[in-house]
Amino acid sequence: MTRVHQATGAAGRHDAVTGQMLAYDELLRGWGLAGGAHAAVIAPGASREIDKLAQLAPAPDDVVLIHYSGWIAGMGALLELPQRKVVVYHNITPAQYFWTVHPVVAVVCELGRERLPAVVAGARATAGVSAYNAAELRAAGAPDPRVVPPLIDPGRLAYGGVAATADGPLILVVGRLAPHKRPDLVIRAFALYQRLHAPDARLVLAGEPQHLPYRARLEQLVEEVGAKRVQLAGALDDDELALAYSEASVLLSLSEHEGFCIPLLEAFHAELPVIARPCGAMPEVGGDAVLWAEDADIAVVAELLHLAVTDTELRAELVRRGRARAQAFAPGRVAQDVRGLIDAALA
Amino acid sequence: MTRPEDALERAREAAGSSPPPGEVARSLEHDLAGESASDALLQEWAVISVEPEVIYSSRRLGAPLTFMKRGILRLMRQYTAEIEAQQTRFNLAVLGRLRELERRRGE
Repeated sequence: MTRVHQATGAAGRHDAVTGQMLAYDELLRGWGLAGGAHAAVIAPGASREIDKLAQLAPAPDDVVLIHYSGWIAGMGALLELPQRKVVVYHNITPAQYFWTVHPVVAVVCELGRERLPAVVAGARATAGVSAYNAAELRAAGAPDPRVVPPLIDPGRLAYGGVAATADGPLILVVGRLAPHKRPDLVIRAFALYQRLHAPDARLVLAGEPQHLPYRARLEQLVEEVGAKRVQLAGALDDDELALAYSEASVLLSLSEHEGFCIPLLEAFHAELPVIARPCGAMPEVGGDAVLWAEDADIAVVAELLHLAVTDTELRAELVRRGRARAQAFAPGRVAQDVRGLIDAALA
Repeated sequence: MTRPEDALERAREAAGSSPPPGEVARSLEHDLAGESASDALLQEWAVISVEPEVIYSSRRLGAPLTFMKRGILRLMRQYTAEIEAQQTRFNLAVLGRLRELERRRGE
């Protein structure tokens, strides 16, 4: 019987690509096709369902599905496998963001983009998690890339308790603390918003720091700009993240590069207004349900925050649109897309 | 009510009409984000010097592991210092060659 074996470069506990690999694994189990999930590097705390890449041993008729988001040593062996291959491209952050801050990650990104054409060349079927990513696949030589959005389980972040609301507006940022996500700008914009409009406002940045020294630089920046009530919360587990979404007044993303941006969808499910920059794949995910911060001015971002927190009718309209937007990425629909991709490789 | 489509314009008006005292509206140009590799930056990067403080454990309650990792690194310092020195030697030699080539091209 044919099986689909999944592989990626690095697996981590709070990593979006790892989460997708596990979500695919669950689908594949349901279809009786699961061949296991594998990674070249497995970080401490990652799911025990993930095996080392060295243990990947597909039968000749099996399929190998590669979740590609960077080049890690050991992935070369994947490309040499004779089995049919599928590539799901989650995008790769341009290395320029990391050369100064974290050279190891910069190398993973630089090699990842350089080797994308080779990864694509050996694939029977390819997909980007957004049209933005699919366009990059096409540029790398994929003849007919599909678009298969990420699988999001809306119930994962359902909060069962009663959210506290009396402690000032909470501005929430979800995502790794990495330079391309511009947490530095978030801190500056928040400091201005707090000073001008809401002295009791809070800012929570939920996400694992890419590199501890970078986190230390951000902590220093918080001091420099005089922002109060800022929490660099680190990576949150599902229940902690659900609580944060339920307490938050606004989700803010000033990221400059996103291959999809799952927190947008999470915020829609949590009925939370969103302010974001129209970068990468974010406009196709957020559509008309997001306040787009197009201006290169943190003063404008501060005013958008004020509007999104205080204008109750605006908030209600954003929540309504967000709910509709989330339907476009409903798990049932995405599961069909995944099945179509697998079938294309099996045909 | 502000429609989502009108929010940006309203925010622009508000930001323009009441600039915060002492606060220059900063552009969204790179700050802590990436810098292009200038000659001075290349020179800085060429000299390899990695402090043990960059080593840590990503596990929860990983402080003892961090302590152990840094301890091992200190014990291995003679070896890692040699690697750093050899890599730095190569980097500086390549950088010197590159500058020489650029000088010749400019002549």
